Amino acid sequence: MRHRYRISPEGRPTLSDAEVARHADAERLLYNYHHAVKPLYKRPLYKDPRTFIALLILVLLALLISEVVEDPPPAVNDVPERSAP
Amino acid sequence: MDAQQELTAIQAAKADPRAFTPLYTAYHAVIFRFIHRRTNNRDLSADLSQQTFLKALLALPRYESRGLPFRAWLYRIALNEVRMHWRKKKEAVMDLSWAEVRELSGELGVVEADDDLQRLAKCLSRLPAEKARLIELRYIDGLSFIEVGQVLGIAEDAAKMRVHRVLGTLRQYLGART
Repeated sequence: MRHRYRISPEGRPTLSDAEVARHADAERLLYNYHHAVKPLYKRPLYKDPRTFIALLILVLLALLISEVVEDPPPAVNDVPERSAP
Repeated sequence: MDAQQELTAIQAAKADPRAFTPLYTAYHAVIFRFIHRRTNNRDLSADLSQQTFLKALLALPRYESRGLPFRAWLYRIALNEVRMHWRKKKEAVMDLSWAEVRELSGELGVVEADDDLQRLAKCLSRLPAEKARLIELRYIDGLSFIEVGQVLGIAEDAAKMRVHRVLGTLRQYLGART
């Protein structure tokens, strides 16, 4: 990026103290600060009783489904046929 | 706000961010004008100064006074904010008045004539960004050498020496009738 300077007897329009003071907003600064430092969650999800129960149900459901999927029903013809002597 | 009051306010703000307000009130205008000199845009200056104070407040627990002025630390953050903004642009133009370059002109022997001011502007524009920044901080913002050093992360003596060298370069440029 290039820097360029312009010098004139009057320069850019001057700012009065009142104009500068109009842009000062300490309240907004504190609001932005609290917004920046506030954690996303005030406490862990599992510490909330409702969320804890919901999470527990989800885990149990997942466990049940995995049990069902892991034990396939026995095949009908899984006994080897006796071969002829 | 004297040095002792400033130190007390900093300690208080470290413990409670709401106590930062006196520091904000004391330095908002100087930081706003510092940014406005570089952006020449009121709304942008308001945004960047707000961002500067927010970053200062967030970094305040790590701030150590070391006897250096607090405002120099704010200038440093503000300058970084301006640089971040400039990064997106191809060219940055700084509009200066005769009053703002009076001290620099005195050092270089430039008089208040339109031709001389145009030459000085051209010579400043020829300087690499880092060197031009030294001149801006010292002569246009009116910072002391210790503050220039703190803003640029160098020692006071190094700041003095570098400013002296840049003035030499400017004298050469001006002597060469650019």
